[in-house]
Order: sequence, then C-alpha cells, then structure tokens
Amino acid sequence: MKILVVDDQKANQIMLEGLLTSIGHKVHCVDNGQQALDVFAEVKPQIVLLDVMMPVLNGFETAPLLKELSGDVHLPIIFITALDAKDTLLRCLEVGGDDFLSIPFEPVVLQAKINAHARVRELSYSLAQKNKTLKWHSNRMEREQTIVRHMLHNALSENELDKPYVKSFLRSVSTFNGDLCLGKEGPFGNYYLFVGDFTGHGLAPATGTLPIAQAFFGMAERGMSVSDMATEFNLRLLKLLPDDMFCAALIIELSPGGERLTCWNGGIPDALVINRHGQIEHRIPSRHMALGIVPEEQFDSQVEHLFVRADQTLIAFTDGVVEMQLADDNMLGERGFEKLLADAWQQGENGFATVRDQLLAMMEAKQQIHDDVSLIALQCQRQPPVRTEQPVVHNHLPFTLTVTISKREVMRLDPVQELVDSLGKLDALKSHKTTLYLLFAECFNNILDHNVLQMDSTMKDELGFERYYLERQRRLEQNEHFCVEIVIHYLPEEEFISFDISSNGLAPYSPKASTGKASESNEEALFGRGLQLIETFAGKVEWRAEGQVLHVEYDLSRPPF
Amino acid sequence: MGVTREFSADQKQLVIAIKGKFDFSLVQEFRQAYSHVGETQPLIIIDLRETEYLDSSALGMLLNMRKSLGNSVRGIQLINARPEVKRILDISRFDKIFTIS
Repeated sequence: MKILVVDDQKANQIMLEGLLTSIGHKVHCVDNGQQALDVFAEVKPQIVLLDVMMPVLNGFETAPLLKELSGDVHLPIIFITALDAKDTLLRCLEVGGDDFLSIPFEPVVLQAKINAHARVRELSYSLAQKNKTLKWHSNRMEREQTIVRHMLHNALSENELDKPYVKSFLRSVSTFNGDLCLGKEGPFGNYYLFVGDFTGHGLAPATGTLPIAQAFFGMAERGMSVSDMATEFNLRLLKLLPDDMFCAALIIELSPGGERLTCWNGGIPDALVINRHGQIEHRIPSRHMALGIVPEEQFDSQVEHLFVRADQTLIAFTDGVVEMQLADDNMLGERGFEKLLADAWQQGENGFATVRDQLLAMMEAKQQIHDDVSLIALQCQRQPPVRTEQPVVHNHLPFTLTVTISKREVMRLDPVQELVDSLGKLDALKSHKTTLYLLFAECFNNILDHNVLQMDSTMKDELGFERYYLERQRRLEQNEHFCVEIVIHYLPEEEFISFDISSNGLAPYSPKASTGKASESNEEALFGRGLQLIETFAGKVEWRAEGQVLHVEYDLSRPPF
Repeated sequence: MGVTREFSADQKQLVIAIKGKFDFSLVQEFRQAYSHVGETQPLIIIDLRETEYLDSSALGMLLNMRKSLGNSVRGIQLINARPEVKRILDISRFDKIFTIS
C-alpha cells in the first residue's frame, strides 16, 4: 500500500513511517494539509493518515478536499489524533474520515486498521474498473444500435404505408421491431402489403427486416405475383436465419381497381375483410407454414383470390394485438378483437382511430406490452394512380439496320423477340417494346406465312387454329432456302421509326383487306385481326414493289398506351 | 417464360399466368393449362402481369379457350395486363367478351 502520512510533528512522522515501512508499506510524509493536496497527484496514495491540528490547512479542512481528488475510487482516510474528545471524533467522521486512531496506540491496532481499509480500497478500485469497462461496452452498444437503426430506417425509406387508403398502428416492445409491415404500389397501380412477425423481438429478428424489405420493394416495383414473392422470401430467410428463427407472414396484393385481393398467409392470425358496418365478410386464414422453415422444393406458394367491394376494408394484424392483456389479466383474444372492431366501425367514419385508441389505452393501463403489435387497415377502394410519363429524350444516333433472317434463325430462336429485345435497350424505344413487338411479329408472320410458305388466310378457317400452325411448321421445315429481310430506319429527332420487310419468296402477296379500312370485325372471329391491329398502331402500312415489300411507319411521339 | 397454372384451395379459381411472350409457341402449353377444369365450374383467371409481348395468335388462343370451355367455367377474367397489353386487348374489343381488370 502507498500511504500518505500528513502530520506537522516530525516525531509522529518518524514513528509512523518506521512502523508502516516495517510491515511492508510505502510511506510518504508531508507536514500539513496543503502539502498533502500538492503531492496527491504525484504520490497517488491509497490510504491517508491525517493529523487533525496542523498549520496552513488542518485535517478537517483537508479530508473533504482529498476525497474530491480521489474521484470515483474510495480513498480511506484515518485520522490520527491526540485529542480524545467525543466531539472531535464525531467531527472526523462528519468531514469524510473513515476511521480514527488516538495517540498513543498499539502498533497492532494500526496494522489491523490499515489492512481493513486496504481491502475496502481494493474492492472500490475493482468496482471502479468494472464500471469503466461496463460503460465502454454500453457506449459501444449504443453506437452500434444507432448504426443498425440507421440502416433499418434507410432500408424502409421506400415504405409506402402512408397512402391515403392505408392506415397502420405499429408498436414494438424494444427499440427494434420484430414485426415488419411493408407497403408498396406496383407498376400497374396494384398495391402490395407485407405483414411479418419474426420469432422473438429486439435486434436479432429486426435484422431479418433487411433482406425481406429489399426483396419486397424490388419485386413490388416489377409487379411480381404474390406467389413469387412468398417463394423468394422463404428462400432468402431459409438461407439466412438460424433453424430456430422464422417469420410468420401475410402477403397481400390489391388489384389496381380495388376489386380483387390476392393473399398468401403463413402463420399470421386470420386477416379479415369487413364491410362498412364492421361485419366480417371474409377470413383469410393461415394455410401455410411461416417463412424460413420449409425447404424450397416443398414450399407451397398457393395463393387465394378474393373479390372485394369498395366499401370493404382488409384488416391485418399480428398476434401482439390479440394477446394484448386486459385489465383482468385475460387476453383480448380474437373474439374480443373482432368485437372491438365491429363496435368501432359501427360508430362511424373513424373506426380505425377508435380501435387504435382503445389498444393504446390497454397498453397504458398495463404499462407494458409483451409482444410487438401491428395493425393495418387497407381500404379496398382504389383509384388507379395517374401515370406521370417521364418525357423520353431521343438522345440516340439515327440508324438504318438490316437484319437478314434465314431458316437457321427461325428454327433456333424467335427472331422478332430477339430484335425487339435489342431495340428496347434504347431508352427512347423501351416503352414501345410491346407495340413494336406486335407490329414486327404481325408483319414478319404475314410475310413468312404468305410470301414464303404460301399459306392462305382461308386455311385458318378450313384447318382450324391449331392445325394451321402445325401445317405452317411442316412447311417451314421443308423449305430450306428462304430468307426474310427487315430494314429498319430510326430517326430520333423526328421520333420516327419505319421498317420494310421483304423475302425471297416466290409469290408476291397483297391481301385485299389492306386496301380498305379495317372492317368492322366480329369480335368473335378467330382470325384476321392481325392486320387490323397493324393498321391501328402503325402510322402507315403499305405494300410496295408490287406486294414484295411491306412498309410500316410508327410514330414514337404517340404514347404507347 | 411460359405458362403456369394453379387451382385455389377451394378449387373455385384456376389461375393461369403467362410469362414473357404470349404467342402460338405456347399453343399446346396454354391449352393444357385450361384442360381438366373439373366439375366445380371454376372461375378462370388469366394473369398477364408478366406478359411483355403478345400478337394476334395470342388473341386467337384466348378466343379458342373461351369457345372450348363454354359453360364449364364460371367466367374468364384477364387481370394485371400492363397498359400496353391492355390497349391491344381494348383495341381488339376483348373487353366485350372477357372481364378485363
């Protein structure tokens, strides 16, 4: 132990130093309180023996100042005093002294006191060290949680639960939510909803949020089906989560007009479709295992389609809602929740707000919740969103492209699809892909069927649809040396594309229908709509070179739909 | 790419999805998809969400399906068509004989 002796009497200093050194302590002596304070930082004493009566700064004044210097670690101060008055002894303890020893004393008593206080000092020191470590870990954890919170927040920045037809109420037990609710509008105005409940709550399940959110937003943007979403999410979680972790999930798609719900439910409580009076008209029960359990080849992605009306609302919730504790410690339960829902909806327009307030009141009464709580109401009334077309800049080079297609290409791949896929790589043509495919396919097939293969339109009626195509295939296989040439002109400035299709076929062909306007066709007619379609979509269609070349012009400035 | 079919759990709906290109190359696959509809008079739902290309032969195949199914189904719905695809269906007046949503 390093012991600081503070005494103005040299004799006492010598006596104490001798005694303490002999039992193995290191001793430093000073003459008064001020000196003690001055050397404190340098000497770093572990115990102080303090005289009461001293010049400059006496013991009573010095003790609290020394304690302050010692900070978090306990510094035992033992007063050494010749005064034996009760008041003095009391005062010693009042100013922060831990013990006192009256002169004269037995050396063995001093030794015993030093040992006892050394133990306290040790304890205090190790406690202070542990506190320091704990604080470091706690700071680090806090910093890491901030980072994760930031990442989760960013991952969910695309979330579209704030649409006017969606209402949500989400509460979590800890900072991190083990429930996950996602919403996103699809490319044709459909709306996707994901309600998930990972096993457990807190940070670990919340990390499952990242892969699901990424996949969900990406797939919704591409307008993928609910069934494909379920399969993909299951696969991702299967690869990612440990065996004892999984995610109960409900995936919903509402059609653009709001007339149809497509649902997949694996482990989430029955979602409900209620009418304006809060009566349940459909239930969407869980028909599957939760995500992240079933291996890919056994996974069942079967969905259900429900037809709904504008006055209906889909209610989806996690089990935190039905497991909510009531005042009598019973759980709210599915029946209880359904009654709550019906009562709230009957009260009028603000049914959702009423339900939310009641759930909040239950939480407040109990002061805590046991599981994450998520409640979503999706109104089945939808207006397809107005599409805001990005103006397309025709920032490309003009070109003329000649494509020659022989039997080899026709047998091996779909030349028209290849061609349109390639053209579609140009930004200005991308949104016209479907229409361009239709034009190219109709014209190409016309030339191939009539000029090359000598198929007559009347054969469709005679042979029927499928046999016509079989016959076509047969002739295609027999015909060795045909080739079809497509010459494409693209003028970006004029937003114009045209193409000429010709073949080395024997017979020039010019169908009569092309000379006149598209006739009022019978909707039921199986054939003859190809040409009508070309004429509707193309700016100009004409047979040139006496029926050898089919010329088509297309105006790219017209919206493709 | 291709055709997938799936009955709902209650056998009341048959969903046929066509991915990628819808033309006569799918003629047999498509016919098989709506064969064996059973006795339940299901509703046929053709999901066109992933149909990017179609031509007049696809329209012919849809009409063929309607003709061959007749009263053995409750109805035929064409759903999730992209605007470009929907325009082709509209111009062909398919909205008069199918439910398009």
